Amino acid sequence: MAAVAVAVTPEAGVLLRARGVQLGYWTPGGFTLAVADATFSVAPREKVIVIGPSGCGKSTLLKAVAGFIHPIAGEIIVAGRSTLAPGPDRSVVFQEFDQLFPWRTVLDNVAYPLRVNGWKRGAARDRAREFVELTSLSHAGDRYPHELSGGMKQRVAIARALALDPAMLLMDEPFGSLDMLTRARLQQELNGIIDRTNTTLLLVTHSMDEALTVGDRVVVLAGAPSRVVEVVDVRDVGEPDTPHYAEARLHLRSLLGVRHDREADDGHGH
Amino acid sequence: MLLAIFVGAWAAYAAWSEFGQNDLLFASPLETAQAFWDGWRDGSLADATWQSLRILLLGVGIGASIAVLFTVVATLTKVGEDALSLLTAIMNPLPGVAMLPLAMLWFGLSTKAVLFTLANATIWPIAINLTSGFKTANPTILAVGRNIGLSSVRLVSDVLAPAALPNAITGLKTAWAFGWRTLIAAELVFGVVGGEGGLGNYINNAKLYLFTPQMFAALVTIALLGVVFEYGFTLLERRTIVKWGMQRS
Repeated sequence: MAAVAVAVTPEAGVLLRARGVQLGYWTPGGFTLAVADATFSVAPREKVIVIGPSGCGKSTLLKAVAGFIHPIAGEIIVAGRSTLAPGPDRSVVFQEFDQLFPWRTVLDNVAYPLRVNGWKRGAARDRAREFVELTSLSHAGDRYPHELSGGMKQRVAIARALALDPAMLLMDEPFGSLDMLTRARLQQELNGIIDRTNTTLLLVTHSMDEALTVGDRVVVLAGAPSRVVEVVDVRDVGEPDTPHYAEARLHLRSLLGVRHDREADDGHGH
Repeated sequence: MLLAIFVGAWAAYAAWSEFGQNDLLFASPLETAQAFWDGWRDGSLADATWQSLRILLLGVGIGASIAVLFTVVATLTKVGEDALSLLTAIMNPLPGVAMLPLAMLWFGLSTKAVLFTLANATIWPIAINLTSGFKTANPTILAVGRNIGLSSVRLVSDVLAPAALPNAITGLKTAWAFGWRTLIAAELVFGVVGGEGGLGNYINNAKLYLFTPQMFAALVTIALLGVVFEYGFTLLERRTIVKWGMQRS
């Protein structure tokens, strides 16, 4: 089916509006519905987290926002356009480390997408340097991806995605493959970077701590097929050692444990 | 060094065995070296080598271009994929030289016939490797390519092609080896190709005049060239897939 972006009237104060989105996929056995109803919105400069247990369709939802797949029902409107194709206005950071081009240096991995989108060679290089510095990778600009650690690779991916000045940054469990220490550090770094660039963020995770650390609002997906059960405001949750944080975490936990799914867990094991 | 032992054994055999002492049938390392040196000095070996290389380059070039064309079509259309699969299954097991009589029938005793045979020897290994390279390209970087706004054409040229480079090099190495063997064999059968003789012809001529040391010298040349080719490919790999950490076992 041809995907042509359709222009609708953009809503003031809303960058992304998802309404009654239904997503599924074909298997040899038939059609499986992954997401039954996703309805939520993202305001400009907001950091929205989509959380849910493994397999709940949150990555599928992100892919739909990115334009890789299309909802079978409902609509996704980003900045006044629906029926989206993939594009740099919604740049994505994937979970896999090998999302960088192995034949390009760190700097070129960030600069190349800019050139693709019309930036002149010199300007692209300068901007790339800026974002490489922003993600604390200036010392590694001329290295090739295979010489980097997992955390560094994800930083490059973030630099690349942000350098494109997207309307919205999409992240699909970006720190899921990292050890907990690196993950915690990158979450903090991400916060700092996003605040500095004033980016709108939609991040998918199964980690409650990540949701509470990074997010302004948390969209909780649960059930099978999944629905948005609640959108929790976590803007003023504070540090992990505060009672407010613990309360919020408990609340998320209860929402995620709606059915028999006890998979929304950070590996603490209960 | 292993090489010294080998040459030593060779010299010993030439000096002391009955077969080895037969000047008509066997050349010692010294005689071979002399013939080798003479051949290069008077240009006959050099000309023959260059002639062979020239045709090899052209033949592999043609084969590679056709292979790329086939592969791109096969990647873009289902019918192309099936067709290529079928063609490859039929043609790949065929030794390159087997096509030579047919080529001679169609093109006569000309360079075209040799090029046709060469192309056929090289298309299939390249197509097979390139296809598998395209198929096994990392889907994440393809998604990244689409995400940053690459057109389909640029997706193939800027992402798919480099991603398939390890396979492309493997294919090229195989094609080169097949091509080289096919060419020498064809020259042996053919005699003179395109006005001047290549290394196969040189060997044949030497046989005709019973210049056995020259035969040995030509064989040494062929072997040496093989080593040079391999080194060339290793250099290519070092500058590309090794540098990029893309080398697969």
